[in-house]
Amino acid sequence: MKRNQLMLGVLLAITSASAGAAESAPSATESMAAMAHSGHDHAAMMGMGKPMSWTAYPTLKVKSSGESRERMVAIVVPQNIAADGIDAWSNNLIDENGRRRLPLDMAGAKLDKPTSGGFHWLAAREEQDSAVRVASSVYYYGERGAANPTDMFMHQKHELEIVPQPYPREHSRYRANEDWKFLVRFNGQPLPEQKIVLETSNGSRSELISDAQGVVVVSIPDDFKAETEGKKAGHGRPGADFVLAAEHADGGKNYLTAFNAAYGKSAFDQRSIAMGLGFTLLGMLGAVPLLRHRKAKKNDAPEQKAEA
Amino acid sequence: MLKKIFPTLGRFRFTVQIVMLFVTVYGGALLGSYTVDRISQALPSLACAFDKQTADHCILIVNQHQLHHRIGEALVKAQEITLKVFVPTLISVATFFAFFFVLNKAFCGWVCPMGTVQELLYRIGRRLGRPLNRFKPDNVERVRPVKWLLLLVLVLGLPLAAGMGYAANELGDPYCQVCPSRLATTLLTADTEQIALRTGTNINFFLGALGNAMFGFVVIAALAVRQPFCRICPLLSWNAMFQKLSPMRLVKKQYDKCEKCGVCEKACPMDIHEIGREHGNKAFHEDCTLCGRCAEYCPDDDVIQIRFFGIRLFGSSRDYYKTRVKRESPEGMPKNRVIWLKQAK
Repeated sequence: MKRNQLMLGVLLAITSASAGAAESAPSATESMAAMAHSGHDHAAMMGMGKPMSWTAYPTLKVKSSGESRERMVAIVVPQNIAADGIDAWSNNLIDENGRRRLPLDMAGAKLDKPTSGGFHWLAAREEQDSAVRVASSVYYYGERGAANPTDMFMHQKHELEIVPQPYPREHSRYRANEDWKFLVRFNGQPLPEQKIVLETSNGSRSELISDAQGVVVVSIPDDFKAETEGKKAGHGRPGADFVLAAEHADGGKNYLTAFNAAYGKSAFDQRSIAMGLGFTLLGMLGAVPLLRHRKAKKNDAPEQKAEA
Repeated sequence: MLKKIFPTLGRFRFTVQIVMLFVTVYGGALLGSYTVDRISQALPSLACAFDKQTADHCILIVNQHQLHHRIGEALVKAQEITLKVFVPTLISVATFFAFFFVLNKAFCGWVCPMGTVQELLYRIGRRLGRPLNRFKPDNVERVRPVKWLLLLVLVLGLPLAAGMGYAANELGDPYCQVCPSRLATTLLTADTEQIALRTGTNINFFLGALGNAMFGFVVIAALAVRQPFCRICPLLSWNAMFQKLSPMRLVKKQYDKCEKCGVCEKACPMDIHEIGREHGNKAFHEDCTLCGRCAEYCPDDDVIQIRFFGIRLFGSSRDYYKTRVKRESPEGMPKNRVIWLKQAK
């Protein structure tokens, strides 16, 4: 038994090491080229901002740490951005953990679950000469009775921001073929007619324009290919990532902000409405005899005869 | 003033049910998208987490997830079991109980959206002139264990087995997959996702088909049977485990005329025959949803009461009974109201 476990352990170690190498090799080269657009090598400068292959925009990768049942720490890894820390806002802004600066090490920044729990806005900021770049994302710690996060979402955190309106709540998530609203604002003021770029890890790219209130409606593309499952987005469901990015120039500075999150397959993937309605109808037919008035039988009690 | 708006307990309960139907089905849209995280997340009624607009969700989905993802997984690594594995479950049960303590099983009779939907359908059935199919005592006895079986197998057993790796991962929340409230509440928000059958695996398909067929059956059966699903609902059995621990009680005293009367039995939407024959603890049966109809239709003063910490909230009275039966028969047939579809002669 022990021997089998040892063999399994060795096998797993070899597999994960080779998978890690396979993942990192192409992404490093591709993202160096991708980051060349901004003129300098962020990853090399700080030893942070691990490169990401599918987008050149700054993003934050957030992953749970430790055993799934503990879920008390998340690791935040900035990608395509050279930041010296991660700013975390909790849904209870007046709490002592309302805003925290999380130091970055080689593995990323550790976000502990505060007692207030709930939603966390995470952001990394980089300022180089006249360029300001921000990566932002949201992480959710399930917590009963957590404060309403609307104030936290609406609180101004950076100059240029893309704010979900709203962010998917617990038991919900972004999914393909769904429309979600985002507010684009600069210094707290909505930015009308602002160009937003959507990119996904499945290769989709589109451009959108915000309306007069600075709101942009994003249709999450259904770009999962049948033969590739992609990463797992919780509960073993296939998922992918998207990023929304906006650029805005003001006062001689160029601001770029990006918001990234995971999304899953369409709600109707591997579902059949026709079969669902069919079985519902079958159940309904099964109950139809109950709707018929029964005839009184000879040995019925008087009360039953009256009912019949 | 209040008596004018709510002349009967039944009217008051119906109003509460409609308000709670909105809270448990559309509450998120009315009170804000994130409300679901902020009330109980362990409600003692079938408010469904799959409904994207609900303001809260029921304890059963939490139980299934915790047994699947925490306790089951931890049992596999038995040496690593610590108190903290059980803490989230204990917190969920404690939160559930904090709510349950106040209203007891009135969560079934006054708050549950699935209960309200079935009652509305039954009312429609009365207007359509459909018959009332009552459960006789021996039939009721046969149906009663089903709710305990569903609790043990679908809510507790299979999720735990899935967490421990003895059952397929799709069996992590099997009760939710067959729960008719999942379909009723999502359809009420015009969301057709849940009624679409999952075809990914055989287990998904089987559970989905069973759930949809049961939902269809309940919708039609509710036109002619009072509360058809409540009788086998695992939340009723879950709530029954705690019902003696709440100060909210149905109290019936011994009374000689009860044996010959039986009006309260006719009024009971759960066909609890014990309410007419027993008294004391036995009268507050595990199937009772504290709807209060037995107290409303008891023609004698204070024989049946709803009490909170011993304080009488509502009690039967002859005068009230006379008013009540003028509006509606004990079986729920409206008096002096239009019947849309009369029985063909």
